[in-house]
Amino acid sequence: MSDNHETIIVEENQALWGTARQPAGCPHCKRVFLIKESAMGGICPLCYQAPLESQPALLRPKEPELLIPFNINKKQLQSLVDQFVSGVWIKPPDFQSDNLMQRMTPIYWPMWLVDCDVDGHWQMETGFDYQVESTKEYFSGGEWRSSKQIEDRIRWEPRVGQMQSHFANIPTPALENHQTRVRQTGPYPLNQAEPFANRNLGHSVIEVPDLTPDNAWPLAQPQAAKRAADLCAEAAGAGHGRNFALNAVYNGKNWTQLLLPMLTSYYLDEQGNPQVVIINSESKSIFGPRLASQKRGLRIAGIIAAIAGVLLAIALFSLILSALVPALRQVAAFVSVLGIGVGVTAIIPAVWPWQWNRQQGKPARMHGNLDT
Amino acid sequence: MMTEKHNSSGLWSPPENFIQVNSQVPGVIVYAPKPPETDKDDIKSYTCPNCGANIAYDVSAGGVACEYCGYVAPVPSMTIGKAADEFEFTLETVSQSKQGWGIERQVLHCDSCGGELSIAPGNLTTTCPFCASNQVNVTTSMEETLRPRYLVPFKISREDATQLAADWLGKGWFRPKELNPNAVLRRFNGIYLPFWTFDTAIDARWKAQVGYEKTVRHYNAAQKRWETRKKIDWRWEDGDVYFNVDDLLITGSSSRQINHNYLEKIKPYNMGELVAYEPDYLAGWQAQAYQTTLTEAWEDAKRIIREQAKIACHQDIPTHHVRNFSMSADFADESWRYILLPVYLATYRFENEPYQLILNGQTGAVAGQKPVAWWKVWLVIAALLSPGMILGFVGVTLTLLADAGAGAIALGVIAFVIGLILSMLLYQKITRLEGKRG
Repeated sequence: MSDNHETIIVEENQALWGTARQPAGCPHCKRVFLIKESAMGGICPLCYQAPLESQPALLRPKEPELLIPFNINKKQLQSLVDQFVSGVWIKPPDFQSDNLMQRMTPIYWPMWLVDCDVDGHWQMETGFDYQVESTKEYFSGGEWRSSKQIEDRIRWEPRVGQMQSHFANIPTPALENHQTRVRQTGPYPLNQAEPFANRNLGHSVIEVPDLTPDNAWPLAQPQAAKRAADLCAEAAGAGHGRNFALNAVYNGKNWTQLLLPMLTSYYLDEQGNPQVVIINSESKSIFGPRLASQKRGLRIAGIIAAIAGVLLAIALFSLILSALVPALRQVAAFVSVLGIGVGVTAIIPAVWPWQWNRQQGKPARMHGNLDT
Repeated sequence: MMTEKHNSSGLWSPPENFIQVNSQVPGVIVYAPKPPETDKDDIKSYTCPNCGANIAYDVSAGGVACEYCGYVAPVPSMTIGKAADEFEFTLETVSQSKQGWGIERQVLHCDSCGGELSIAPGNLTTTCPFCASNQVNVTTSMEETLRPRYLVPFKISREDATQLAADWLGKGWFRPKELNPNAVLRRFNGIYLPFWTFDTAIDARWKAQVGYEKTVRHYNAAQKRWETRKKIDWRWEDGDVYFNVDDLLITGSSSRQINHNYLEKIKPYNMGELVAYEPDYLAGWQAQAYQTTLTEAWEDAKRIIREQAKIACHQDIPTHHVRNFSMSADFADESWRYILLPVYLATYRFENEPYQLILNGQTGAVAGQKPVAWWKVWLVIAALLSPGMILGFVGVTLTLLADAGAGAIALGVIAFVIGLILSMLLYQKITRLEGKRG
């Protein structure tokens, strides 16, 4: 842990944190990374829209204190990706698990853990559990029976007080889009963090914080207040708390940078746009849009419609011939019904990709069913 | 929620009515609202600050007054009415209630003369035998909530109570001529009696076979004609009934001390006149603590409420043909209060027989035992039976003489039976009024 949270401008081509990695940025998504020199010019591992370019970065010169190492093997990853891909019926040609596996990039992304001393006074409504006795009476066969029931209730009482407490490791965003990222990756087991070591980095890319500790503190303060509320309710011996108000000063702030692991990959949709897939290597969850191909759907629908057209043409021809051979009238009727039936089924591949892609507007995280 | 408070040096301090309580976390100090004063050792003596005489609550003055020097101090309390706090049936309260008072006798120290007084359990007031000062004590309950928190003050003065009772005694044809109400009613004792009030919401669900009458035509082969008769169609039906019970009063006095039937008769009390308990109201008056515990009273209340629910369910059924009736009554939001209500009690003697009389100290309603001139009752009974007997006698005579008295005998029997029924009803009413027999 360190109380030094000064930031400096790191020039381009300058290795940092003893990792032989240099700052580089994406001109499309504006994210900044520390990458190996050999990866310079490669595609951005977050948006997959533009190549990374060497650029200066504003960051803390001190290396991160903690890191959660990657915890997923290739077999598990393959299984996760296979499950992700297999659920889509009419896929774009590029949406294949092999493509996703080949393009997989390990990334460490940052967050802050802050320690602080809280000194102030508070007030809240504290809730105490209690039980009351209630009654139910039954009348049957000319007799009354009585049964007692116990109900749980909460009694709310005001409490005020003072506190001088130390809060450790308050999780705090280091990225402006931290909430979005957490929605994509899901939670991490922060208690599995290890001291930062170069050997754990491997070929991974490190994403650089865009919130300095000073900028991140307003986001940490509500977390500290929430902890204070829980602590005050506990101090009052209450099971519940509400309407907590804290008037306090926060001293002795100590910032720790923690790196969290994730894997990204992408596939090209039918318009040729990259669709990013994100994997949390800890929870084995995968996030990203699983788009179907509307063009392929229409093509399949067209083929089915053409078959239906042929069948209807045969039916029409048979109908004409039935003037000469009356038995062909039944054939004409049967084939025309068959043609109409086949024609109707053409709607399914035409409509299904549209319907499916609508559901992918807000993609959900998917947890893999993996053998570990 | 609360106003932050800073002292002159700018340091934070808790609100005035808050005290520090135990904290279960080091580094966190907790303040909670100060619990209400229990007055555990605050036994009040009532002597006049001007002349030192004994003082008491005066109904007409509406405060504690001295009858010698005219000193009056208004009672520092306001009418709360039905907004008075109600308590839930928490498991702790129910458990404590079952333990009762738990104290056999208490020794009070008289602040006025320094004497040591012994009071029986259940008495909230006493008069010092040494200096005659009035003492009020409500500390005999172990539990704060089981102490009287509200009361309805006396509205009827002793003089008015005596007059009302005298008027009540003076009414009626069966009153003995020798009874002089003003002479026998020498002293009325004003006493605050303990009552429990109960509130609850009832959701009653019933199920029964309900019969609907219908007229059916059938052919009577013997009579060779069409006839109609009534038939009942039975159907299974069910229904829900919701109602609220508001301030159901159950006495906290033992039936050995007070006749509960008479207490029922002097109801209702106007709960809109409930005031917060102040010992001043009890000064110079007797007051009794509950003998029937909360749980015992609640059992009585539940018996009344479930019968009300049963009646409500039957009223919900559209016909009077009902069979296989069953129901359940769900009680919700049950709450209770422990209050004191004003009552005047008088026991007087007439012809060496004691008679009890009870009067509502708020409304003046009277109930109790009344002496009866039994010779008047027997006279009326004789008058009721005599027409039948006379007719019977006449009928028998005519039968013997002219063999033509059958009609008179029949009329006589009918008149006698009617007279007998009326006589029995009269006898029952009079014995209830007198409260001595049966």
